[in-house]
Amino acid sequence: MTPGVRRPAVLGLGGLLAAGVLTAPSAAVAQLRHEQLDNGLTVIVRENPVAPVVAVSLLVKMGTRWEQPATAGIANFVHAVMVKGTAKRSGAELAEAVAALGGKISATGEVDYSEIRASSLARFWRDLLGLVAELAFEPTLRTDDVDRERDWLLSRIQKRRDNAPSRAFDAFYAALYGSHPYALPALGTPESLARIDHAAIVAAYRAGYRPERMVLAVSGQVAASEVLAEARRRFGGMARAGAGVDPPVPAPIASAGRIELEMPAQQSQILTGSLAPGLDHPDHAAVKVLSTILGGGMAGRLFAELRDKQGLAYTATSYYDPVREPGALVLYLGTAPENAQQAEAALLAEVDRVRRDPVSAEELTRAKGYLLGRYAMDRRTNERLAWYLAFYEIEGQPRDFPERYRRAVETVSTADILRVAQRYLGALTTVVVRAR
Amino acid sequence: MNTVHGSRAALVGAVLLLASGCAAAGGYSVTSVGPPRPLREVLPNGVVLIAQEHRASDVVAVQLWMRMGGRDEASDELGLAHYIEHMIFKGTPTHPPGSVDRLIEGFGGTSNAFTSYDATHYDFVVPAEHLRATIELLGDLATNASFPPDEIESEKKVVFEEMNLVEDDPDRFLVRRLYEVAYSPHPYGRPILGTHEFIERLRRDQLLAFYGKHFVSRSMVVVVVGAVTPAEARAAVTPVFGRIPPRAAGRSELSPPPTLDRNRRVDVPRPEKQAYLGLAWKTAPTGDEDIYPVDLLTYILGDSPSSRLNQEVREQQRLVSSIEAGYGAWQKAGLVTVNARLDAENSEKAEAAILDVIRKVRETGVTEAERQRAIITAESSYAFDIETAEGLAKAYGQAETTWTLADEIAYLGRLRQISAAQIQAVARKYLGDDNYARVRFVPAGAPR
Repeated sequence: MTPGVRRPAVLGLGGLLAAGVLTAPSAAVAQLRHEQLDNGLTVIVRENPVAPVVAVSLLVKMGTRWEQPATAGIANFVHAVMVKGTAKRSGAELAEAVAALGGKISATGEVDYSEIRASSLARFWRDLLGLVAELAFEPTLRTDDVDRERDWLLSRIQKRRDNAPSRAFDAFYAALYGSHPYALPALGTPESLARIDHAAIVAAYRAGYRPERMVLAVSGQVAASEVLAEARRRFGGMARAGAGVDPPVPAPIASAGRIELEMPAQQSQILTGSLAPGLDHPDHAAVKVLSTILGGGMAGRLFAELRDKQGLAYTATSYYDPVREPGALVLYLGTAPENAQQAEAALLAEVDRVRRDPVSAEELTRAKGYLLGRYAMDRRTNERLAWYLAFYEIEGQPRDFPERYRRAVETVSTADILRVAQRYLGALTTVVVRAR
Repeated sequence: MNTVHGSRAALVGAVLLLASGCAAAGGYSVTSVGPPRPLREVLPNGVVLIAQEHRASDVVAVQLWMRMGGRDEASDELGLAHYIEHMIFKGTPTHPPGSVDRLIEGFGGTSNAFTSYDATHYDFVVPAEHLRATIELLGDLATNASFPPDEIESEKKVVFEEMNLVEDDPDRFLVRRLYEVAYSPHPYGRPILGTHEFIERLRRDQLLAFYGKHFVSRSMVVVVVGAVTPAEARAAVTPVFGRIPPRAAGRSELSPPPTLDRNRRVDVPRPEKQAYLGLAWKTAPTGDEDIYPVDLLTYILGDSPSSRLNQEVREQQRLVSSIEAGYGAWQKAGLVTVNARLDAENSEKAEAAILDVIRKVRETGVTEAERQRAIITAESSYAFDIETAEGLAKAYGQAETTWTLADEIAYLGRLRQISAAQIQAVARKYLGDDNYARVRFVPAGAPR
């Protein structure tokens, strides 16, 4: 279970933003190499000798954060069309070519970025980088693929709306973020997708895929100097295009109210929460610990109190993912319809309690251990390692962010928890999806 | 888990580790960099320690592998080994019920356990600074499990639910039935989860007797892989597992299962609209030289969209909507399975087409390109398995309990030396026109 997958089910806002920040093993820091190519593209390589595999994460500054209601979902749409073929081969041939390297490749649009990710046997790292470059720089973006993928995406949106937890999370983010783009679903809406045509897909691709907006991270059993040289060759040839001017993003204004929906389902969904600091805010670590005290695993208060003791919910957890702009602290319950009313009251009582009573030293220690342990757990594969490197870079964070973050978590005090609970859990936004 | 590719026969529950033995190894010969060989040490009481430093992240995998599994149950106590797996997590006098999961979770770690026919294993992954505490917990669970009576009763519901889950999932249930039809009455044909009747009546003294007999020093293998040195692992493990009194379980010998014939065919009415077809051939057990060519043959037949069964039976003849092949190797026998989803009326034709594909391999062999592609797939599957500390620990523990560590480490190197002619030879040796078991899931209401 990766903590922090913000919207359950497919491709949520921050589907990949999983567990936030990690601490790099100290020995590994020395094995990191960074280089900014002449055209502005950043390359990061991590030598990880433990297994003969390699993973590549290419992040691009395009995603929900740059979208408006009329263009919602366009970043993800672009990537769905990209993987259908390049100037050199069809989508099926691309899949076959990467399979012949013992690997895989895929692309998605997320909240703060879009990603092409690929992995293979380490000895084919050169071919793998070539395929990633080909997909990034030479997608065909054919008109009929745009139409086919739109149909497929529409069916996924429908599926998402039929799923009670997804529906609840979408409604919650819409209410919480108001006119801020984080309110929009990463998949888009039927209305936005209907308006996005081939020309819009091509334009969005060109606006996003500029070297100044891209970070390439490679992790695996490779030699950093060789990878950097190959990256210059494969990715350095693309001309500078200017980073582009990002439109101003409206400040989020949470509605701080209660919304109730109804749909056919087995379980009722209850979400409550509020806007919270972005990942470079000084309160980020304290809110992470607060989120863990409330909803981190079986010992989290929501699980221990509402599920174990009171039997009021099946699912009882919290989400707080690192994002650039204001984040969201979400407390989530899935419960039997007959318990929904009582469960919601009990949930609000837990919010009151954490805003009123200091947490015990023991609870604080457990939460920090759980939080930092999970970070280490989320960094086990090269795919995740590559993603983390690229993610911090594209979010503009300092390169020792993981170490700073670990220290920040370790110094969070009981008083800090009380302070951030009072500051951020004051005006709650609540969404209830009642099962009928 | 490279022996069970494609169909991932191993997915008969997180409980049923069908993949034993030839789960690959090596891969290091192609590159100059790579992890060192593991430390393997036999403590004076017979407990085997395997340790290796693996610094992909700050975590350590700690696993206890037991030379004990479903095959060690008496025929009237099916499900005992798996039930013990559940009960161990219910604690000891010093770790009361509920505290085991919470302790590991408090470290930010995870716990899991798997019961198979030849072996059983208990797995933890925790941040490396909790190595000692985790080893102490594992040692306590392995020797002092308390089997609280009320927990024994309440866990029955959980196991029944697990049985329902297997039965509800047609892919998993097909593999379950195929093993049953192919091997019965041999222990490899038994349901690992056991029978409803036995579990319902299960008593504490039966659990205690089985635990007392099998959780002994000479059945235990402790594997530690992660951000710790072998010396640190040794220092943590020896005081805990070294003080267990020396004893052997006196495990009974297992005979190989019988050969297969036309009598092993079963049709099962099912609620799904989709029909399922499963075929199984008896092939090489772990420890046999034939596992290498059989493994490659299975990849060539049914691992990917470009595999022979996919190209011929799905793409060309359009007789099935999906098809895949898998290989599960055990200490006394191996099984190559072919599973397909299809429309019920295509069942006979699809079976004939599968046999044709196999006949063609027997007659004209495989191409060099297919051989190379299969080796890359095998390498890749292995390489991504050992990328994590727990993946490498699992490969080692499985090899030590059902094969040998040396064979495991040499696996990929040997696989690379297999020729196309050797692949053809095992197709001729094992995969005949009528020496297979068959299970068909027939939609209720469809013509039989």
